[in-house]
Amino acid sequence: MKTQTKSQIVKIITKKGRIRPSDLAKLLKITPQALHRHLKSLVAEKIIQSRGSSPKTVYEIIGRPDLEKIKDWFCSSKITQNPSDISETRDVFQGRLNKFKDLKKSLQSDNLLALIISTTGEIGNNSFDHNMGQWSGVPGCWFNFQISGKFLWIVIADRGQGIFKSLSKVDASIKNDDEALKIAFEKQISGRSPERRGNGLKYVLNNILGNENRGIACHSGRAQICYGDLGMKCLKEMENFPLRSYGTFTLMCWGIK
Amino acid sequence: MKISLIKFGDILTSRPAGRDAALSLKAYMKPKKNELIELDFKGVISVGPSWLDEFLAILREEFGKKRVIILPTTNPSVRESLRVIDGKN
Repeated sequence: MKTQTKSQIVKIITKKGRIRPSDLAKLLKITPQALHRHLKSLVAEKIIQSRGSSPKTVYEIIGRPDLEKIKDWFCSSKITQNPSDISETRDVFQGRLNKFKDLKKSLQSDNLLALIISTTGEIGNNSFDHNMGQWSGVPGCWFNFQISGKFLWIVIADRGQGIFKSLSKVDASIKNDDEALKIAFEKQISGRSPERRGNGLKYVLNNILGNENRGIACHSGRAQICYGDLGMKCLKEMENFPLRSYGTFTLMCWGIK
Repeated sequence: MKISLIKFGDILTSRPAGRDAALSLKAYMKPKKNELIELDFKGVISVGPSWLDEFLAILREEFGKKRVIILPTTNPSVRESLRVIDGKN
């Protein structure tokens, strides 16, 4: 009976993403005390984790990122003020890359840290390279990272013109968002032509495909694409994001333990 | 002539920063004729291909590709960046 309740809890949290204990108790029709015992046991088994402090505590499956705030920012039709995760200029973004140094102990590998920083740097700098003067509302890119279970999740997003609009200026044969997104990752092309550029996302892709414990998903305009063994995992996290005609949203997942 | 890249920072990303670093170096560096320009990444945590591409392009144009040498490094971000810039390790 106990095991059955625990598996029901895991099923509900998986389906909902995250849930408050009071809502969970109502769904399961059990007392808060009984629920607390099950939650404590699942936390000890490293299957779920709590986030936030009482009375706003929620429970979620370990290993998943928290994308609620970014979803609100990215999907809002109008933004008048930027939250603190936004780097409004390239300099701010560059400075925030330094926060990755705090992960040195958790990663236990300087090589992995080197690749994580440079890969994130390429994606974030693309936001500024291709959207200066083209932002939808407020300028800047969203950047944050979080460790959940055995994974490091990195989010970089902007409300800019999107990849299709940028690339179609240099190659009119590109028909839509899907084609543009694939070309951006797999071919050497840049919306900043005639400047000699266009190898940043190839570098990103090489690093993601260079190890089975990595993945990336990118959503731009009305298209989505993913690469790497954890690519589908990233895409699944983005499945509830409504498609927008603007902006680019990238989610990376790096296995770290 | 050995150039310690750590003097430009321990995280080297973005084209504007790479360009700025190369132009600054070019202004103050006076190598002898045919002297090699050896780039040392010791102490640098991470380098992106955009930074390195911009930095190398300016130095190679000024001194010639053969004179600009990257000293051996185990930093994978340097090696992978070179792989996409020059198509080799």
